[in-house]
Amino acid sequence: MDGFIKAVRTVSLACGFVAAFLIVLGVFIVCEMVFERSVLGTNTIWQTDFVTNCLIAATFIGSPYVLMTRGHVNVDVLPLHSGPRFRFWLALFSILLAMAFVIILAVLAYNFWYEAWSHNWRSNTVWRERLWIPYAAMPAGLILLALQYVVELICLLTGREPPFGLKPGARHGTEAGL
Amino acid sequence: MSPTTAGALVLVVTLVILVSGVPVAFGIGAISVIFIVIFQGFDGLQIVAQTFYSGLDDFTLVSIPMFVMMGAAIGSSPAGKDLYEALDRWLYRLPGGLVLSNLGACAIFAALTGSSPACCAAIGKMGIPEMRRRGYPDGVATGSICAGGTLGILIPPSITFILYGIATENSIGRLFLAGVVPGIMLTGLFMIWTLITISRSGFRAYAADFRYSWKEKFNAIPKISPFIAIIVGVMYALYGGLATPSEAAGVGAALCLVLAIAIYRMWSPAEWWQILRDTTRESIMILTIIAAAVIFGYMLTSLYLTQTLAQGIADMHVNRWVLMLMINVFLLVCGFFIPPAAIILMTSPILLPIITAAGFDPVWFGVILTINMEIGLIHPPVGLNIYIVSAIAPDVPLTRVMWGTLPYVLCMMLGIVLLCIEPRIATWLPDLLMGG
Repeated sequence: MDGFIKAVRTVSLACGFVAAFLIVLGVFIVCEMVFERSVLGTNTIWQTDFVTNCLIAATFIGSPYVLMTRGHVNVDVLPLHSGPRFRFWLALFSILLAMAFVIILAVLAYNFWYEAWSHNWRSNTVWRERLWIPYAAMPAGLILLALQYVVELICLLTGREPPFGLKPGARHGTEAGL
Repeated sequence: MSPTTAGALVLVVTLVILVSGVPVAFGIGAISVIFIVIFQGFDGLQIVAQTFYSGLDDFTLVSIPMFVMMGAAIGSSPAGKDLYEALDRWLYRLPGGLVLSNLGACAIFAALTGSSPACCAAIGKMGIPEMRRRGYPDGVATGSICAGGTLGILIPPSITFILYGIATENSIGRLFLAGVVPGIMLTGLFMIWTLITISRSGFRAYAADFRYSWKEKFNAIPKISPFIAIIVGVMYALYGGLATPSEAAGVGAALCLVLAIAIYRMWSPAEWWQILRDTTRESIMILTIIAAAVIFGYMLTSLYLTQTLAQGIADMHVNRWVLMLMINVFLLVCGFFIPPAAIILMTSPILLPIITAAGFDPVWFGVILTINMEIGLIHPPVGLNIYIVSAIAPDVPLTRVMWGTLPYVLCMMLGIVLLCIEPRIATWLPDLLMGG
């Protein structure tokens, strides 16, 4: 079991690196686009689509890493103010519900990707890219996310991790940023 | 089932599921799937994956990770410390000058990062220990940083405004401009309150014979001026028609990365990974909520819930200001429990038809909504900034931090009242620069 958990976490960490790389790539392509248009005075063709695709891919591929590091924000008022037993059941409900959604979405995303691939869909933009390529990030990322959720479930049920990652007596657990 | 009953059911199930602690993005996604299956059957799910993907397939959204990266690069560097020291050297002679320096630094840092927690943490790490060392009351030291941090989501570039702009299809550039004067106004209100508190207690921060030399004052400027130049450059590119928000943000992010390396020598892989990790985590969290909120919006619209609610409120024929008061109370209560990104994405599409039908300017309302979200950031039980400040000063009791923030909450409420009395506080600048 430990081997499985370690393997999935390593994959999730790798997903984090890939997502970070895609975001940085997006930054550089945006700079290249601005330079090409403003300084060289040429038209840009592929950059807008490419950057958008990079960030969509980063969102799906990086999601398991964000889950592993508890970056997906939640409303933690009730978990924080509940006893250990109730907190455990809340965490179990939370993981099962989210996992069910992710699995359903992964199946639907696969069908969506398969349709794009089998019908050779292309974008309506000037670039006319093959859409199955960017769409592939969605089922791939969601399957990895589902795997990370399996690890979260195992860790909760076996007591490897406290519910919601909250230590007893925790006052606050989210990073509800902005 | 009538739309009203369905609406009530959606509301109850949404509250129950979100309060259980499920991640907001997956929670609202699951709620949407459940209700689509209940009301449309399994065939209704065919569109879900496409809707989820199309929610992200928008070049405007590129600005979010770019601005987040800009904030992460500056937030990870000692720029906050330099900014704070520079302001202190210029303002130290004023009574309460250190608090004013902190609030000013928060306002400027807000313009650099667009993030409330980043602003709170960066300025608070230097500001709170220094204020306490110089004998400022704990409530003032912690409360002012909590409140100053919230300016991050009002003063542009603001991720809150980007989300609102996307959710309501309003110009992000116009929203950014609309936040400038209210942001300065709130900073002013915070400063006035601080000056009143400090002068009432007869407090002096420095010995009367203490002086910074002019050399020391001017020496503090060079390190921070490039970052200020980037902000001015980004805003010029945005409003000079040279670049879209996403392009301006992308160039700004690249420049901030370069400056963090050039000025603060942030060469090590660990420092790089900290910037990239923070960017990745926050961006993906926000983008996933956006995608899920699009399915949620699709579900609400396809069940006619949005339209029914808007029609129901229109049929009540209540005074528009009573309606605004009700909306403010609703947003305030939401802000106490739910993170700003989720509130904006879930409520904006519902509230927008009501707001426009009542004759309110949606850009002006974006500012009102953002100030409500700011209050939520310093009000328990969620009140993220309170907990950030509490982590910086763990020996200050949490209750004292909360009491310290209360006057600033009242300042924000006063700000909302002033904006209602004179909406041009928000709309004047965008009208002037972008036309009415």
